[in-house]
Amino acid sequence: MNALAIEVTGLEKTFKGHLSIGRIHALRGVDLKVPRGVIYGFLGPNGAGKTTTLKVLAGLLKPDKGGARLLGESVSERKAREKMGFLPETPYFYDYLTGAELLRFFGKLHGMQPKALSEKVPSLLKTVGLEGKGDLPLRKYSKGMLQRVGLAQALINEPELVILDEPMSGLDPIGRREIRDLILSLRAEGKTVFFSSHILADAEMICDEVAILSQGRVVSQGSLEKLLSGEVKFWDISLSNWAAAEKPPVGEIVARHESQLLVRVEKEDEVQALIDAARASGAGVLSVTPHKASLEDLFLSHVPGGAR
Amino acid sequence: MSNAPKGLSLGWAQTRALAANTFRESVRSRVFYILMAFAAAMLVFSAVMSLLTIGSRAKIIIDLGLTVTSFITVMTAIFVGIGLIYTEIEKKTIYNVLSKPLGRAHFILGRYIGMMAVLAVNLLAMLVLLGLLLALFKGFTFKIFIAGGFIYLELAILTAIALFFSSVTSPVVSAICTMAFYIVGHTSSALLESLAPRITDPVGKAAAVWLFHLLPDLNILNVTNIISYDIPIAHGFTARAIIYTIAYVALLLTAACMAFSRRDLV
Repeated sequence: MNALAIEVTGLEKTFKGHLSIGRIHALRGVDLKVPRGVIYGFLGPNGAGKTTTLKVLAGLLKPDKGGARLLGESVSERKAREKMGFLPETPYFYDYLTGAELLRFFGKLHGMQPKALSEKVPSLLKTVGLEGKGDLPLRKYSKGMLQRVGLAQALINEPELVILDEPMSGLDPIGRREIRDLILSLRAEGKTVFFSSHILADAEMICDEVAILSQGRVVSQGSLEKLLSGEVKFWDISLSNWAAAEKPPVGEIVARHESQLLVRVEKEDEVQALIDAARASGAGVLSVTPHKASLEDLFLSHVPGGAR
Repeated sequence: MSNAPKGLSLGWAQTRALAANTFRESVRSRVFYILMAFAAAMLVFSAVMSLLTIGSRAKIIIDLGLTVTSFITVMTAIFVGIGLIYTEIEKKTIYNVLSKPLGRAHFILGRYIGMMAVLAVNLLAMLVLLGLLLALFKGFTFKIFIAGGFIYLELAILTAIALFFSSVTSPVVSAICTMAFYIVGHTSSALLESLAPRITDPVGKAAAVWLFHLLPDLNILNVTNIISYDIPIAHGFTARAIIYTIAYVALLLTAACMAFSRRDLV
C-alpha cells in the first residue's frame, strides 16, 4: 500500500488569456506529498491555483506538465477516483432531484447496488445532518443544506481520500463547526481529508499538515506543528500593584487598568529583567504569555502583499 | 461495495444511471408537458383542417399528422440536444459527475440514450394520439407506426449531431450548425442529382460525391409520402435506413467522445 494519499509532482497548467491572447499560468510546478490518515489544508489567496490543482486531482482538468497520483494511482486513470470523494467549490446539483435521489444517482455512478444504496443513503443523510430531508427537492435546500448533501455525495462510496474545495465557504459559524466536526470524524475513521481553504482559523483548528500556495507554486508545506514551532515572537507580561506613575524599565505598555499593567517585550532577557524589576518594586507578576507565529502570520509572510 | 460491478458491467451501469437521470430531467421539466400539449393541439388542428379540405380525410390527417409529429420531435431533438452537454458544464453539475470513476464516453452515451428515451416517449404519445384521431375518422392504419420508426431514425441522427456540437461549442453555434445539417440533410440528395451532371471536373465531382456521403442523407428516412399513398416499403429499404442510421450515429458519437475527452472542464 502506498504511504501517500496524494502525490503531486511538477504540476503545471496554463489557460488561454482574455480573448485567447497569451497564456495564464495557473500552476507553475506544484509539488505536494500528502500522507495517509491526516487532515491536510491546502491554503492560499484567491487565484493562487487551489481550485485548478483540485480539479486536476478530480480528473476534470488535464495538466500541461507533471502528474499526480491518488492512493498510488495516476489521476489520468479512472481507478484513481474509485476510492476518492470530491466536493467542488460551491457545488451545483440537479435541482429536480431530491436529496436521496441525488445520493442514489451518485452511488450508481460508483457501481453500488440498489440494496447497498437503500441502507447507505439514509445513514449518510443522518451523518451530514439531513435526516428527514431526503425527500425534499434540492431546489428547496438552503446553501448550508446543499453543502451538506455535497459532502454526503463525496462520501457515498466510503472513500479513503476525501478532497474538498472550500468546504466551509459561505457557511454560518454553526455550519462551519459542523463541517469541521465531520472532517475530524472522517480522520478518526482513518480517512485522509485534503481541503482547500482561505479561512485560516478553520485550517489552524483541524489541520495536521498544510501547504501554502501562492501564484501557482507551493511556498511552504509540512506539519502545522513544525511550521509554527519557530521562535516566540513576543511575550505579554501582566503585572499587578504597579506604581501608576512609574514606567516599566523594558517593553511597551499594551494596556493599563488602575495598578494593573500589560507589558509586551520582544526579547527573552527582557522578560527576566521586567520580572526582577517588578519584584524589586513590590509589584506582582500575574502571568507571562509567550506568543508564537500563527498560521495567519505564516500565511501572510508567504503571499504577495501579506507582509504589509 | 464488494458486489459492485467491474469493467464493462460497471460502464453499462453508469451509462444506464446517466440515461435514467437525463430522462428524469426531461419528464420533470415543465417544458416537456407544454411541448406535449402543443403537439396534441397541433394534431387535433390537423384533424380539424381535414374537415375543410376536399379528398380523403384519412390521407390528409396522416400527411399533416406525420408532418407535425416529425417537426415537433425534430425541434425537440435539436433544441434539447444542443444543451445536453453544454448545460451540464454551464450549470457546473458536471464536476460532481465526472469526478466519479466514470469515462467521458459513458457520460456522452448516457446523455444520448436518455435523450433518445425522451424522444421515444414523445413520439409514441403523438403517434397514439394520431392513431386515435384516425380511428375517429375511420381511417386508422398501423403504417403510421412504421412512419414513426423512420422519424425515430432521423431523430437518432439529429440528436447525435446536436450532441456532437454541444460537446464542442456553445448552444447558439450548436443550434445553427444542427439546423444547417437538418436542412442540408433533406436537400443534399436532390442537390447532388441536379449538380453532379453539371460538374465536368473529375476532382470536383469526386469532392461533391464525398461531401454528399459525409453529410447526413435524411431523405432516405422520409417515408411520409410512401405511407400516405399506401405504397409498400421494401425490406431492403428499411434495412438500409437502419444500417445507415446506426453507422452515422456511431461515427458522430465517437467524434463527440473524442472531442469531449480532450476538453478541460474549467
